[in-house]
Amino acid sequence: MIRRLIGFAVVVVTRLGAQADPAAAVLTRAMDAENQGRVREAVAAYREAIARGAVIPGVLGLERAFALVAQEDSVLPALDTLLPRFPQEASLRNAQLRALVAVGRDREAHRAFDAWRAVDPASIDPYRDYARVLLFHGRMASADTLLAEAVRQLGSTRGVLLEVAQLRAGLGRWAEAATAWRDVMASEPYYETAAFYAMQPTPVALRDSVRVRWGAATAPLGARQALAQLEVAWGAPRRGWALLAALPVRDTTIAIWEQFAQEVERAEGWGVLTEVMVAIQRARPSSAQAVRAARIAARAGADTVALRLAREAQQGPVSERRVAEAVPIELEALARLGRAAEAERVLAAAAPALGPEGTRRQACTIAMGWIRAGEVDRARRAVREAPLEDVDAVSGWLALYEGEIGVARTALRQAEAVDPLRIEVLALLARTTATRSRTIGEAYLALARGDSTRAVRAFEQVATELPELASLALLSAARVQAVRGEAGRAAALWARIVEAHASTPEAAEAWLEWGRLARRMGDRAAARARFEQLILNHPTSALVPQARRELDGLAMEERR
Amino acid sequence: MNLMDRLARGWRFALAVVMGVTALGGVVTPLHAQHLLLPMDAMQANHLKAYGVTFGALREGVRAEWLLNYRGGAFLLPDLPSLRRAALLAGVTLEAMDAGAVRTLRGAMAEGNMDAVPLEKAPRIAVYTPPDAPPWDDAVTLALTYAGIPYDAIWDDAVLDTDLSTYDWIHLHHEDFTGQQHKLASVYRDAPWFVRSRERDLAMARRFGHADIPALKKAVAARLAAFVSRGGFLFAMCGSTETLELALAGRDVDIAGVTADGSPIDPAADGKMDWTRAMAFAGATLEMAPGVNAMSDIDGHQVNVPLRRQPLGTFALFGFSAKFDPVASMLVQNHRTVLRDYFGVTTSFTRSRLKPGVTILAEEAGAPWVKYVHGSFGRGSWTYLGGHDPEDPQHAIGAPPTDLALHPNSPGYRLILNNVLFPAAKQKPLKT
Repeated sequence: MIRRLIGFAVVVVTRLGAQADPAAAVLTRAMDAENQGRVREAVAAYREAIARGAVIPGVLGLERAFALVAQEDSVLPALDTLLPRFPQEASLRNAQLRALVAVGRDREAHRAFDAWRAVDPASIDPYRDYARVLLFHGRMASADTLLAEAVRQLGSTRGVLLEVAQLRAGLGRWAEAATAWRDVMASEPYYETAAFYAMQPTPVALRDSVRVRWGAATAPLGARQALAQLEVAWGAPRRGWALLAALPVRDTTIAIWEQFAQEVERAEGWGVLTEVMVAIQRARPSSAQAVRAARIAARAGADTVALRLAREAQQGPVSERRVAEAVPIELEALARLGRAAEAERVLAAAAPALGPEGTRRQACTIAMGWIRAGEVDRARRAVREAPLEDVDAVSGWLALYEGEIGVARTALRQAEAVDPLRIEVLALLARTTATRSRTIGEAYLALARGDSTRAVRAFEQVATELPELASLALLSAARVQAVRGEAGRAAALWARIVEAHASTPEAAEAWLEWGRLARRMGDRAAARARFEQLILNHPTSALVPQARRELDGLAMEERR
Repeated sequence: MNLMDRLARGWRFALAVVMGVTALGGVVTPLHAQHLLLPMDAMQANHLKAYGVTFGALREGVRAEWLLNYRGGAFLLPDLPSLRRAALLAGVTLEAMDAGAVRTLRGAMAEGNMDAVPLEKAPRIAVYTPPDAPPWDDAVTLALTYAGIPYDAIWDDAVLDTDLSTYDWIHLHHEDFTGQQHKLASVYRDAPWFVRSRERDLAMARRFGHADIPALKKAVAARLAAFVSRGGFLFAMCGSTETLELALAGRDVDIAGVTADGSPIDPAADGKMDWTRAMAFAGATLEMAPGVNAMSDIDGHQVNVPLRRQPLGTFALFGFSAKFDPVASMLVQNHRTVLRDYFGVTTSFTRSRLKPGVTILAEEAGAPWVKYVHGSFGRGSWTYLGGHDPEDPQHAIGAPPTDLALHPNSPGYRLILNNVLFPAAKQKPLKT
């Protein structure tokens, strides 16, 4: 039915149309045949439609039908007949150029272009449409020559801005392409997506030329939006957000932020996404948005932000459903922050909204809160209530604290929660095949309880008991000592690492931290030597840029 | 340490160097080649520190070559462990080249608009800067410190008292040589930093027997011009360019307002200026109004004058013949030819105020001003670059310092460092 209506409308609106009704019926028949793959029948029907006056839809249909059987040039005889009758009809001229270029009859294509140009010498259309056809076929150099000719003949590229932009991007002239696309977006903002795709392959070294042109305060909004999108694609979503965050808050801006959020979410830039979500919530607060933002903040590991947003979502008159959505996020954040007692109180208050099953499902979260606080018995009591499928992480931590590192390794590996400490523990456990170590359990339990002295002692003991873990265990001990402010003791541990475990990845961190300590103590020579050792001995370490930055800082201090 | 330990250490270092070069984007190369190429095109990870590595080589007595117009103005150095180490520490990309590759390179250079300029001796550098100024207060000290190029800080007493010929290169930044402290008194007269600098300058003026700050600064300007005329290189940026010229041309004229020397500007000052004493400009008109924060019409942008302020655009570096115009070529070596403009109390130079014979190195197309100029004066030469900080276009007083670690490929800062290495070049006879 819809197809019939379209066919009818096409015939009615065509300025070449005559005897609309019979032609419409024939066109509909032709389209049906084309869609069902009966090409020969479609060709005959389209020819009939042309004869009945539906010239343009008929020719376009013929072109499609012949393309299906790879006979693109078979449309040309029909065009040869029609063009003398309708010499200024752009659709017919376009179809002719498309067919000739598609089959590689370049000279004839150029003659066809010349013929069109002769009919309408002041028009940009022949240049623009021919350039489009050439660009479509990847003929960048020919398109370039053609557009240069257009400028020579007509004196401006205004009418072919889009083609110029595509062309420059296609030729890898990125800075010029950025300028041309900016001009396109200034007059036709909906080309922002096309601009984004065209400029995405810009090489790293030339991206600043796009940033300068699209990120300026004077650039059209579409250009800034496209640049923000590009920054996400180029792996720098924070730069993208910096472009959009400063926009004045209004409906358009919020819509742009929403769209940007989708891009960042696809790129899994959780930290930046949290900032975008918080901005949207601040601009247009709602409990639904607060829950969404809280979920993302939790995913980004921004527990305090997640907690605040989850609580914001429950403010004012909100449905029980909303409470049931927000409370688990709140509990999760509290558990990560080690505020298990508070989490228990929140859970008790929310029990009516969560229902018995919903409440039971939070038992693991509460248990994780107790684990964070090193309260093993309370964690064990809490987890008794939990559904079996959720207990991996809890049982993993409990096993770790008890020294059952084989069990802990398996259970913690299966846990899904994003948790840097879990990753650190797994990195340690992955280096040994041992299945039991009370000392490792003791070290992490002491850490959870805030007993740093015992934790350091246990880590040092681990280094002796399990030599394969020595460098990492010593580094963990050094980190704890540094946090406690025991710089001298931390330094002794770093020195042990770089001397006895020089080729391990931990040595790089030890050099860096040891150098930083020397810098803080004002011993610039020692600091410089340690940063240099890091760069020279571990040139592929991810810490090298930090060492270089420290060296720059030292040079600056020395000049003061 | 026994022999085996030494060998093991040596191998570890060599391996580290190769791995580092690879990690930095450099080409995997044999452990020892004959030359090291520091590319200065988009392949270079840290353009600014590449100048430091080259400068460091010159200080060690190593001869280098500056390959003008080749890969953004690359440097060719002998392959020495100390240079590989310096490049690795600085994060500078290098490529090892054997004799065959160097021969091919020289062949290619002979065919095109390229040339190799020998760099023989690290120039001795002085930066004219107040004693208490931190390095980030001035784009040049910032660039030198970041690149690891040593310099002496000199101030009025050193300029007036010591033999400047011990230096090859002197840099000036945002000093006001008309002695009016850039007419900031109306806004900042009670700001502690402003009061401190005025008191410091007044004390210096009295010490050298001058009645006021304008007289002191004119004397300093004359000494600096003498340094150039005797064969020195002067590089100036921002407000020091314009005010140095005004101080030289206005030596015998009262060109300072009442807040600086107690008397208004001579109303007929414009007609009394002697532009033959100036190095770059002629025929400029002084800004007489004390409340208008501009010195003259030399600056094209007039950033601090609301109704005259011109917006920032971009400026393009000119290309010069490396073989026939090596000096100008050295000054414009860059991996970009179009650069974003940036403000300073003097941002640009009005084209119509330039003396004939001044070489324009960069300009904004279609604008009545230029950005970067060079010329000779006596036996020496000078270069002026407008603006304050190439990576802080809107620089304001109190703005946080630029962190060059975030701009290791800054094309604007490269212009500054081109000027630092330029005096190291050995003059070659022209081929004409």
